[in-house]
Amino acid sequence: MNYLLHLIRLFPITLILYSCEPIANHFNNVEDAIMYRASTIKDFPPKKTIKVMTWNIRFGVARSNFFGDGCGDRVIFTKKEVTAGLEGLANKINLEDPDILLLQEVDVQSKKTGYIDQAQWLLNNTNMNYGAYASMWEAQVILADGLGRVNTGNLILSKWELKDAERYQLELRGDQDALTKYFYLRRNVIKAKVNMSSAPFYAVNTHLTAFATDDTKLKHINGFKTILDGIVADGHNFIAGGDLNELPPNASKIDYCLEDQCENESYHSDKTPQHKEGAYFAPEITWLSDLYKTYKPAISLEEYGSQELKHFTHSPDDNLILDRKLDYLWTNTSWSSGTTHQEATKLSDHIPVSAFWVVK
Amino acid sequence: MKKIIFFLFIISVTNAQWRYETASIIDKGRKEVGLFSPFRVGLQNGMELSINKFILMPTVSIKQSRPSFNQWSMAQKFQLSYPSAGMKWLQSPLGQELGEPDMFALISPEFNIPQMISIYGELIATSGSNQKGRLTLNGGGGFSINGKNLSDDATIDLPIAYPRLSIYFNGLLFKLGGEYYKKINTTLFYVVDYDMFLMPNVRGRYAFEHKSALIWSKNQKFRLLLGYKLIAGEYPFGPQAHLLPVLDFQFGW
Repeated sequence: MNYLLHLIRLFPITLILYSCEPIANHFNNVEDAIMYRASTIKDFPPKKTIKVMTWNIRFGVARSNFFGDGCGDRVIFTKKEVTAGLEGLANKINLEDPDILLLQEVDVQSKKTGYIDQAQWLLNNTNMNYGAYASMWEAQVILADGLGRVNTGNLILSKWELKDAERYQLELRGDQDALTKYFYLRRNVIKAKVNMSSAPFYAVNTHLTAFATDDTKLKHINGFKTILDGIVADGHNFIAGGDLNELPPNASKIDYCLEDQCENESYHSDKTPQHKEGAYFAPEITWLSDLYKTYKPAISLEEYGSQELKHFTHSPDDNLILDRKLDYLWTNTSWSSGTTHQEATKLSDHIPVSAFWVVK
Repeated sequence: MKKIIFFLFIISVTNAQWRYETASIIDKGRKEVGLFSPFRVGLQNGMELSINKFILMPTVSIKQSRPSFNQWSMAQKFQLSYPSAGMKWLQSPLGQELGEPDMFALISPEFNIPQMISIYGELIATSGSNQKGRLTLNGGGGFSINGKNLSDDATIDLPIAYPRLSIYFNGLLFKLGGEYYKKINTTLFYVVDYDMFLMPNVRGRYAFEHKSALIWSKNQKFRLLLGYKLIAGEYPFGPQAHLLPVLDFQFGW
């Protein structure tokens, strides 16, 4: 009886030790990334040229009418819907067979996508072996729209082992009230060393703010570039990419307010706000210039300028006509055969960009 | 004001289970109510009526004395709950549309919440005294009747709420528990309890709750309860533990 009472007393003490998780996770400036590995490891020898691909996979819901990034009315998707979306992504990934894959909007434990760990699912259903994950939104509950539990973020997948993977916190949005900011997204850059035996290099992945109306996006771009600068200063090479939510400086169209407005919205009128959040790029159109000047893009500004339509990577909601470029690949050395995969338009609201990188 | 009502509602739902429960029936005509706990009144023939004050999720229960068994006082409890209005309200507590944002919505508005009721029955046994220590054991089961199917994805995957609403998703709930209550001095008491929820056929199959609280009882008219509640349970995403504060002001007359 005494032993039982002792156990009863000990039980709550033990529970207290691991039950004090915050409602919404606030990250340190630099943290270790979460590491993954496929259920079966495939053997890949080192290569002289590797294929790199970046893709915002919209948490595997393809072109469904999600409320959060467009005008949709869906919040919670069924496991069946999400699995079908992931199968479409995996088929494309296996077809393209990249060696390094930079993914954004990957759910690992979100109510909206049936709590499927998409990082592990993709590892187990593609040729990739290793993963490094950095959450950009981790909360036990989001007190709005019935979203519930959320854990979504950036993922680097690689055929070769990833080492020293770190998550770098970017600035929080400066245009939100304290309560919203507490529960809102925490954008980051994830960096990992790809342990390819002949020539290790760094892979860097990010997803920058989409809807900030102040200079937060510029701070994010600068934060991303600072990490790339650090790699080069240390004498290493990198491949980097992601969804920068920014147009190239020579984009011909810089205002998408009317294209993106929902039925109950009205922009470019006397009402405020005049512009839709995330759809008006005029004040920020030069913000990527420094990146273009310093590093090599997979799709050069000249190439983009001469064939703009072929290099659009995004259109919102279920609109299948791509109308802007937001997704990029960068390196400090050089790319060949940069490709914008517009044939994959139905698989996400962003499409992948890939290129070949000569290992140095 | 709507935000205050929302938090009172949530606290009320959780605290409805935090009051201590014994086989004793409160005296005929006596009434008790807490800021966050239900209204209770002693009726004739050894019965006690309990009503949740918040009308959006009404719960009515009747507790009845039964013949003693050896040293144990015995009682039985029957409870009827109607959660539909409350769950619909939780889809838009501030009356906003999806994406406005629909602040404080805990259930997505895309789900249809059908008319539902649940019926729960429980046996309660109590032995001992306040001075020497009073032990209560309870166990029971319940079922729900749903007008239409409720989507499995409309769950609120949070402690307290998940096990108590699980009955509307899987149709069944079983509960076992125990409580120890002891007097420290003339005005101070403590209570320690454990409850186990068993939820067959849902993605989260169990919840284990433990509460420890100090009770300051100035007289028969007022008492203050302060403590903590630990919950270890399984949810659709996996197991998790939570530590929550317990606070209540209770009045009797």
